[in-house]
Amino acid sequence: MNKESLLLSIEIVFSLIAIFWIFIAFSLLYRRIRTSQLRLIEETFADIVSRYLYNDPKNPLTLAEITRTLRNVGIKSKNSNNIQFLIRLMIRTQRTLLGNNFKKLQKLYTQIPPYGVSIKKISSWSWYSKARGIREIYEMNQSQYFDEIFKYRNDKNIYVRREAQIALVVFLGWESLRFLPYLKHNITLWQQIKIVEKLYDLYPRPELKWLHRAYETEKLFGKKLLMRIIRKYELHDETGYIIDHLNHYDYEVRETAIYCIQTFAVSLNKMNYIKELYEDIPNVNQQGLLLNYIFENSEIDLDFYLQQLYSDNEDLKLSIAEILWNNGYKEKVQEFYYQQYPKRELNVG
Amino acid sequence: MRKILVIQEDIVILKILEQLVKINNFDCKAIRSLEELNIDDQQSNFDFIITGILFEGISPLEFVAQVQEVILHKNLLIVTNMGQDKVKQEIFALRGVTGFYTVPIDLDEIEAIIQAY
Repeated sequence: MNKESLLLSIEIVFSLIAIFWIFIAFSLLYRRIRTSQLRLIEETFADIVSRYLYNDPKNPLTLAEITRTLRNVGIKSKNSNNIQFLIRLMIRTQRTLLGNNFKKLQKLYTQIPPYGVSIKKISSWSWYSKARGIREIYEMNQSQYFDEIFKYRNDKNIYVRREAQIALVVFLGWESLRFLPYLKHNITLWQQIKIVEKLYDLYPRPELKWLHRAYETEKLFGKKLLMRIIRKYELHDETGYIIDHLNHYDYEVRETAIYCIQTFAVSLNKMNYIKELYEDIPNVNQQGLLLNYIFENSEIDLDFYLQQLYSDNEDLKLSIAEILWNNGYKEKVQEFYYQQYPKRELNVG
Repeated sequence: MRKILVIQEDIVILKILEQLVKINNFDCKAIRSLEELNIDDQQSNFDFIITGILFEGISPLEFVAQVQEVILHKNLLIVTNMGQDKVKQEIFALRGVTGFYTVPIDLDEIEAIIQAY
């Protein structure tokens, strides 16, 4: 390598380093400006919301002033990033308040920019934008768009229909259960939990009329959802629905029923019925779980346990023997044990 | 004039509480962390302190204990989004806490308390 080419290489390397440094400097500068811009939007929004909620008669806040102030800090239709940031702030604020302030905020959100931005997202071709739009609408409780959202409850995209179903719960509460039989796609466990939690947060008073109507659903995910609702609300009078599904043909429905019944202590009659259903459960692990529930939630029923001990079901006999042994029926276990080995002549020596 | 100190990290909650206090004819000092306190503030005897408990670099219990120790006050109200029963019990065990409110919050309750003062 001669001197010229070496110098050229060094120049190229230095140029590259210089370009990187300039790029980093621009990036840092941009970030600093952007951060201060976002902070300004946040502070302005905080000021607007506080003055709107507690309007000072000496210094009243008008809608025109709100719109103008927001525009001055960069909330313009062409600047979608700022608008998105504002929406996040709006949602965050609405989540923190209850009572009259919540209603006031709801009204404010219909009047200030970025009005209409979330609903426009719903007509986007992208599933992500659709789901996000629906979420923003229900988080900000903009119930005027309910009809638009309702159409997406059976959307082919799981995320879109998931958000639409949550929106139904937010806007309709318990009444949303009436759509359960008409849902076409499975509701995943995660979605079931989200629905139950959202319903519980927003509508803590149960409306059994809708629950009873929903019992008619044949959808397996619907049955699981209803059992989880009964469990979450601790509806003791509705435990019959859970018990009836303990011996369901579907593994997951049985699993949910066994999981949910464990929250409740049931009456003697219901416990006797559970014992009857116990033998119909085709899976030994599930039987084991139910046996544990029966043992922990009822007095020792010697007939029931002996019946299980002498039945053909070999898998749980050890557990049953253990229960009897530890609860004052050692002789019954010994009797069962010796009975397995009929008297024979001892061959000693 | 009656004086209230508001300490909240969340600027939106801070501003709302500040405005609520001012509209009820209290003098208000609103800060986002204890570092913003000056010497004069530490010598004032606040009628109320309305504070969060979740701040960077300090545990909730230590924070409340520090506020109680450093700032003179008559009543201490906690407004936080840490609503777990365990946290609540531990905070009340410190004694001297007038009220504990978790987010989402109905600010009418806070307003009623300071109006009744």
